Amino acid sequence: MKQQLLTLLFICVAAMGVHAQRAVTGRVTELSSGEPLIGATLTVKGTTTGTTTDADGRYSIRVGKDADVLVVKYTGYRGQEITVGTRSNVDVAMEQNAELIDEVVVIGYGKQIKSTLTGNIVKVSGDNVKAMPVVSVEQALQGQAAGVYIESTNGKVGGAMRMRVRGVGSINAGTEPLFVVDGIPLAKDARNTSGADMNPLADLNFNDIESIEVLKDASAKAIYGARGSNGVVIITTKSGKSGKSRIELDLQTGFTKATGRRDFLNSKEYIELFTEAANNADDLEGVPYDDPNSWTEFVFSRFRRYDGHTNWEDRIDQTDWQEEAFRTGRVRNASLSFSGGNDKVRYFASGNLGLNEGVLLSNELSKNGGRLNLDFDATKRLKVGVGLSLARTSTRQVSNDNAFSTPLQLVALAPFTPKTDEDGILYDRPVTTYYNGLIDIEDGSRKVNTFRTLANISGEYTITEHLGLHMEGAANLYNVRDDASFGERTENGSASKGYGYSAFAGATDYNANALLHWDQEFDAHALGLDLGTEYFTSENTRTYVEGEQFPTDDFKTLASAASIKAGTSTITNYSFVSYFGRARYNFNRKYLLNLSARVDGSSRFGKDNRYAFFPAASAGWVLSEEGFLKENKALSFLKLRASWGVSGNADIENFLSQGLYNAGTYNGSSTLNPKQIANPGLTWEKSAELDFGVDFGLFDNRLSGEVDYYIKNTTDLLLNVPVPASSGFTNQFQNIGKLRNKGLELVLNSNNFSGAFSWTTSLNMAFNQNEVISLANGQTLIDDGSNMNVVKVGESIGTFYGAAYAGVDPQNGDALWFVNATDDNGNIVDPTATTNDFSTANFVVLGSPMPDVIYGLDNTFSYGGLTLNIRLQGQQGNQIQNGGGQFMSCNACWFDNQTRDQLDRWQKPGDITNVPQARLGYTNGAETRSSRYLSEGSYLRLKNVTLAYDLPARWFGKNGFRDVRLYATATNLLTFTKYDGWDPEVTTDYLADNIIYGVDFYSAPQPKTIVFGLRAGF
Amino acid sequence: MKRYINGLILLALSSLVACDKKLNLDPAQDIREELALNTDANVKLVLLGAYDALALDGMFGGNTLRDAELMGADGEIRWVGTYEGPRDVFNHAMIAENNDAENMWVDAYKAINICNNVLDALAVVNEADRDQVKGEASFVRAMAYFQLVRFYAQGYEAGGNNTQAGVPIVLRPTRMIDESNLVSRNSVEECYAQILEDLNTAKSLLPDDNGVQAGKYTATALLARVYLQMGRFAEARDHAHEVIESGLYSLLPAYADLWNNEDNTAEDIFAVQISNQDFDESTMVIFYSIPDYGGRDGDIEVNQTHLDLYEADDARLALHYEGYGAWRTGKWRDQYKNEPVIRLAEMYLIRAECNARLGTSTGASVDDDYNAIHTRAGLQPKTGVSLDDILYERRLELAHEGHRIHDVKRLKGSVDGLSYDDPTLVYPIPAREIQANKNLVQNAGY
Repeated sequence: MKQQLLTLLFICVAAMGVHAQRAVTGRVTELSSGEPLIGATLTVKGTTTGTTTDADGRYSIRVGKDADVLVVKYTGYRGQEITVGTRSNVDVAMEQNAELIDEVVVIGYGKQIKSTLTGNIVKVSGDNVKAMPVVSVEQALQGQAAGVYIESTNGKVGGAMRMRVRGVGSINAGTEPLFVVDGIPLAKDARNTSGADMNPLADLNFNDIESIEVLKDASAKAIYGARGSNGVVIITTKSGKSGKSRIELDLQTGFTKATGRRDFLNSKEYIELFTEAANNADDLEGVPYDDPNSWTEFVFSRFRRYDGHTNWEDRIDQTDWQEEAFRTGRVRNASLSFSGGNDKVRYFASGNLGLNEGVLLSNELSKNGGRLNLDFDATKRLKVGVGLSLARTSTRQVSNDNAFSTPLQLVALAPFTPKTDEDGILYDRPVTTYYNGLIDIEDGSRKVNTFRTLANISGEYTITEHLGLHMEGAANLYNVRDDASFGERTENGSASKGYGYSAFAGATDYNANALLHWDQEFDAHALGLDLGTEYFTSENTRTYVEGEQFPTDDFKTLASAASIKAGTSTITNYSFVSYFGRARYNFNRKYLLNLSARVDGSSRFGKDNRYAFFPAASAGWVLSEEGFLKENKALSFLKLRASWGVSGNADIENFLSQGLYNAGTYNGSSTLNPKQIANPGLTWEKSAELDFGVDFGLFDNRLSGEVDYYIKNTTDLLLNVPVPASSGFTNQFQNIGKLRNKGLELVLNSNNFSGAFSWTTSLNMAFNQNEVISLANGQTLIDDGSNMNVVKVGESIGTFYGAAYAGVDPQNGDALWFVNATDDNGNIVDPTATTNDFSTANFVVLGSPMPDVIYGLDNTFSYGGLTLNIRLQGQQGNQIQNGGGQFMSCNACWFDNQTRDQLDRWQKPGDITNVPQARLGYTNGAETRSSRYLSEGSYLRLKNVTLAYDLPARWFGKNGFRDVRLYATATNLLTFTKYDGWDPEVTTDYLADNIIYGVDFYSAPQPKTIVFGLRAGF
Repeated sequence: MKRYINGLILLALSSLVACDKKLNLDPAQDIREELALNTDANVKLVLLGAYDALALDGMFGGNTLRDAELMGADGEIRWVGTYEGPRDVFNHAMIAENNDAENMWVDAYKAINICNNVLDALAVVNEADRDQVKGEASFVRAMAYFQLVRFYAQGYEAGGNNTQAGVPIVLRPTRMIDESNLVSRNSVEECYAQILEDLNTAKSLLPDDNGVQAGKYTATALLARVYLQMGRFAEARDHAHEVIESGLYSLLPAYADLWNNEDNTAEDIFAVQISNQDFDESTMVIFYSIPDYGGRDGDIEVNQTHLDLYEADDARLALHYEGYGAWRTGKWRDQYKNEPVIRLAEMYLIRAECNARLGTSTGASVDDDYNAIHTRAGLQPKTGVSLDDILYERRLELAHEGHRIHDVKRLKGSVDGLSYDDPTLVYPIPAREIQANKNLVQNAGY
């Protein structure tokens, strides 16, 4: 049916061509800069013939003998009427109207002028992320886009980033937005072996970025129906423009340090506290301190063990273990680009080199890459674009936060333990309390190399002046090679005379789409129709081998392993098939209407439930174009928008709808083991979203802004439902449950001063409220048992759920919790009742790791050649759990060095404190699921400060330099927070998932980076 | 022009006809359920997977043995590790969310579901092998239920009607998730009846010797252990006797040779097979051993109190070693070694105990059985052996092997001042299970 329609459409189109007359081509540019104007409309006066300019400002239109006056219009510019006469080429230079310059925004499968948009799209220009000394593009975006929550899970370089557009959109399916780079959907699913997620976008050189568009509301993203429910981030790289060649060089160098420190006990305090803790434990058990089995004797034996070649009784601070974990890292980046072109060919080529050393010892990432974007006019009707980028990153990783070998777990070691013995050899257990992670750094390595090739080719064929066919094919080839070797002294290698592994993972994604688009203006009516299809396929492979028993630590590769312990290779794949259509209509750019529909099929779902339909509709009304407002002096622009649409989520593991067995091994033979239970009905998770927005401009648009209210209901959640384990299975993916995100977004841009001294301000703020409406039948809670983050009906995802800490019993130093017993109606019977028995304390909602509001405030001042940019970023209303509190702040429950606040422990009856009596070997208040370890997590950060000086052009004369800028940039320079941990922007890497947020577990603090740079254009 | 258009139309159409077939993908590492259970060979592979499930962490991969020792520590061993789960088991401070309580439940029922699948697919098994496959699946299922009922329910009261809640008995394979999965707890009596039925089935169908998999005498040995736990001493004695008399197993001359082996020894009646090819290492080694041998930080230490129980020249004392500042058992020292679960020495001790209790001398005198074990440890033989002597010997011989808390319960003793029937000595039904199944009733105290 669809094919027949298309054929019909083509026939009509072909017929239209026959009546065409003489063609006129040309280019519409901006008068002062010469830059092309995209989307300018041209009509032949007195006819219905019309066209719009393309990305290069070019157009082609047919004029008749009697109708040869071109009417050229572009919002924000003075319209023109030009008589063509006998010319076949008419270039038009447009002069800016004092009114708003209308931005062009990249939308799904196309571009649109911002004033005619009916959806909500945030555009961040490449200039705003350029030269930021951070590793990945999301970090550069942080605080710049309203409603886009971005978190670096911790301060390890190359670590995972989390981006949530308008709240967390799913419980068990993906929550990351879809990233589309130059039309190529990028899967973020390549993992490395250590278990900590990597960020596959780290390899993107963001000096290459022309713009980043975040599609937030349903109408904007529905065209990506299938995978749009978490938002879509479209990254467009630069392309060449015809005209003079341009060379740009950017060099920067600087350093980076950890943002925060925690305060730990010194030797004197440590010995005092732990001796007291042992005495208290003995008192409790009625054992004399000098009994050989007493805790007191035990603690002394441990002190003797931990002091190595020194004497603990001297109480000397031998090692500041926290400082051993940190270092000052270097940051160096260089990029070079060439761009230019002529009438037929435009090019943009770039290369980059970078090194980012992390704040943690040995952690570093270096990257290099190159890009070539070519556009050429193959024929008058056919334009071809080719893009190719190659990128390599090399990361020296440290272990995930849960490993004894991760540098920050060094803080657990006793302060009177020397780092090395008398021969300078690093101490290990039994002298160190736990494994000494410094040995990993000296005697082990874990290196991850990634290679990415992005290649795309596109063709735009102009069938008639109104009808075009756009086709695109793209490949994303991503390979990760992960090599590790651990010497005989390391934790991993000690039992096996050295240990190593080598893993190779590859993702091969292909994407192809074809889009037929028709645009025409009939007087005041502008109509656009798109019809397209897309196919996406992805194959992920992984091979892995590990070995043990190396002759000496000098041998690092598995060729030298005497025992190959394990090897594996896996392949998995998935595919999507999609059909979509879209209609855009506007009347005088005053009344705007947009309809779209998409049908998607995914291999991940049950055979009968693969396809789903994703419709969207939106409308806008530009009130400022109405007569009654047109003359209003104060109000320069006002638009009301409303949109509704449905988008989907299929971001789950492959093959979850099938009942499967996998292979195992027992006694050297293969076995077959049940892996998962079937759910043949499994289908798409769907989000229906409603958005109301107002765009406004005041005082000649010196003050402009947007306000949006949205409500997004996600239903048929792809929920990993816990099933009775007595079935032999623990979980099954089902389509059940509902989730709601609603919120308010506010953007304000203000041009405070212009002229010699200029000052602009831009503010964005977003309030999002996430609520779990329902889960599986009868299920009100998803609680993995070990973590405090849960999913609870009526609360936001990841809410902290545990026992409410009630402080310390002044009589006996016992930790207390509120009982919070409830009656049959769920009401708390006695809110003041406490207990010292943790197991009888009822769990309650204690707080949320998700902020109520996120915001960014950007101020740019410039005077002469000086520019100062100050960007603040922050969030308010969230809590952080110190997951390591049960070890580091447990009133000396075990031998981990304690945070200094533990000195406030209860010591004698009558003491009023929040730290219970120290009792070695007892969990007096050390239970991790209690509000004792929760703190306020709001923060405000001086995210970015850049001071730049553009050298006056006259200094260079004719020697080729066009502009030279010297700059200094600092990121995360200052952080204001009540959180007393390392840094408030944190989710430990070994837990971070859809549900776990805001948990600190020996996590590396964010880096504070200062760089000095030079940018020169030739 | 026309040529172009035709070409374009063709191109556009061919991409539009992106056919549905592109969505038909099958996994490379897995096979569909129907295929796993449709041939003789495959069902046997699934059966072997049942043993693999017994080797999971939550089962005999270690935790079920470790926790029986930690819970019954009574000052003889000390947990010094950082993990919350075992720490709470050791401190008798478990909560319903305890990880280890969850893992054991989950892993045991995984094994049970596999057995149920095998028993349901017997029709496709070659007739000649059908009895054996049925016998083995019944054995593994009984093994899993025996662990479950001993940990999650109050102990079996000899001679009582044992109506206290046991664990749910599931005997059908799970093919889909629906209301029928919301099972209720059966009584302890019903659980033991099921275990006996499965073991008797296994005993009657299995060949005498079946390598490292369950044979007739493996089932018989487990029956001896189950009857002993039930206080049915005559049956325990007779089954132990049957195993000893089979001649299939013999006591090793040197106690130290029993441990850290890659192959079963002559004394092993059933051992979980572990090699460096297994994904799951022995958690006994992980927690009892030290990093030099592949353990964690030596999380379980043996206290002097325990060492003082032995005579100075006891070979079983000599098996302890010092490392990382504490004493440790050598039974679980090396990684990638088998874990003995039932061995012949236990049968001698059962026969001796039951003979002593019943005043009989089935197979051998009490003294002889006692001395077989006692002298093997390098000690002088004893005469006039009492029941207490046997129980003391049992404590030393089977120390650190996962018997402790079960013996305390059956002997109505106490640990750490807690009576054998104290609710803290019973695992909680895992919180996740209570949430997923509204028909389950939680144990007292959780």
